[in-house]
Amino acid sequence: MAGVFDRLQQQINSQKQEKGITALDLADLSPGLRKIMRLMLREMQLNYPRLCEEMDSLPAEERLTRTDLNGALDKLTAQFWLTRVGEGERAIYKVNLKRRSGSSLPSGIWTMLDTKLKDRPK
Amino acid sequence: MNKGRIISIHSFRGGTGKSNITANLAAQAALAGKRVGVVDADIQSPGIHVLFGLNESKMGRTLNDFLHGKCAIVEAAFAVGKNSGDAEGRAKLAGKDLWLIPSSIAGREISQVLRSGYDFNKLNEGLQTLIKELNLDYLFIDTHPGLNEETLLSIAISDIIIVILRPDDQDIQGTAVTVDVARSLDVPKMILLVNKALPKLDRADIKARFEAEFDAPVAGFMPLTFDLAENASKDLFSLSRPEHEWSLALREVAGAVLAMK
Repeated sequence: MAGVFDRLQQQINSQKQEKGITALDLADLSPGLRKIMRLMLREMQLNYPRLCEEMDSLPAEERLTRTDLNGALDKLTAQFWLTRVGEGERAIYKVNLKRRSGSSLPSGIWTMLDTKLKDRPK
Repeated sequence: MNKGRIISIHSFRGGTGKSNITANLAAQAALAGKRVGVVDADIQSPGIHVLFGLNESKMGRTLNDFLHGKCAIVEAAFAVGKNSGDAEGRAKLAGKDLWLIPSSIAGREISQVLRSGYDFNKLNEGLQTLIKELNLDYLFIDTHPGLNEETLLSIAISDIIIVILRPDDQDIQGTAVTVDVARSLDVPKMILLVNKALPKLDRADIKARFEAEFDAPVAGFMPLTFDLAENASKDLFSLSRPEHEWSLALREVAGAVLAMK
């Protein structure tokens, strides 16, 4: 039987997944942040110094100041589009993609389909 | 960034020949000595496995197993080079570094994904892990036609996107949507590939028109051919009929893709 901490962790994970980012949300970010999010998707995670390094390598018109970058990271983390482990210079960021939604069809339809598929010879 | 490049193959509508072209491009890349992975991300209607000689009875672990936490992604990678079989074309892949990650063709597995959804972070993690663990030069992603969640993710993480369209007004209008989305997600390289082109078409005119309309290069024209229809996905056509005009056109596209920096 799951303990209270397990249940809380499950609840947090499920909240994170419900509020995660979709690929289309990336399109609404500023060009600089979008590039970094794309990089994070490919690398799976980036630490803060590397994030700053990548930001500094962007063309001047896409670059964010440290203050703006920190603000954007806080905002993205608060809305669960990023997850952060650690604080400050030692923080590691990871993109949190929204769970692929399931069907909204009534469950009876799926049960019936399952039954039919189960009986189907291979 | 991972050294392997991700190439997504898209079409806005079904029936454009997307899976066939993906499988043949991947095979040509493997023949050229590259380490290549192919992921069937068309979880709702998988099909590319047929071109690699797989069927439900031969299929081991699948992408669905990985997404449901039943195996590691590498365990779902079917080594085509070690299981190339007797078909004339596929036999040429013996010993090549080509892996297919199939989606399950079992009805219950498909319905489970549709009903319950899955963790998208896991799908992305699987794709990136494949590149690292199999040390891939290229990872080809075959997706469902149109724009769905897998398609959008694959666009967002791609280095190159190949948009396939037929010279048909429905395809052309839909392609505009795909191209817009890819642009808004900053895909570094995008090329168009015209498939099922009738011989009487003025290719130079179409190329100029499409390039102006979509602001992306047309990498090739694949002819409409009964020979390919007759092949009926039984083999990899560009390997079984290498001198056919379809295969020559495909090799030209493969060359252009592999030459992209």
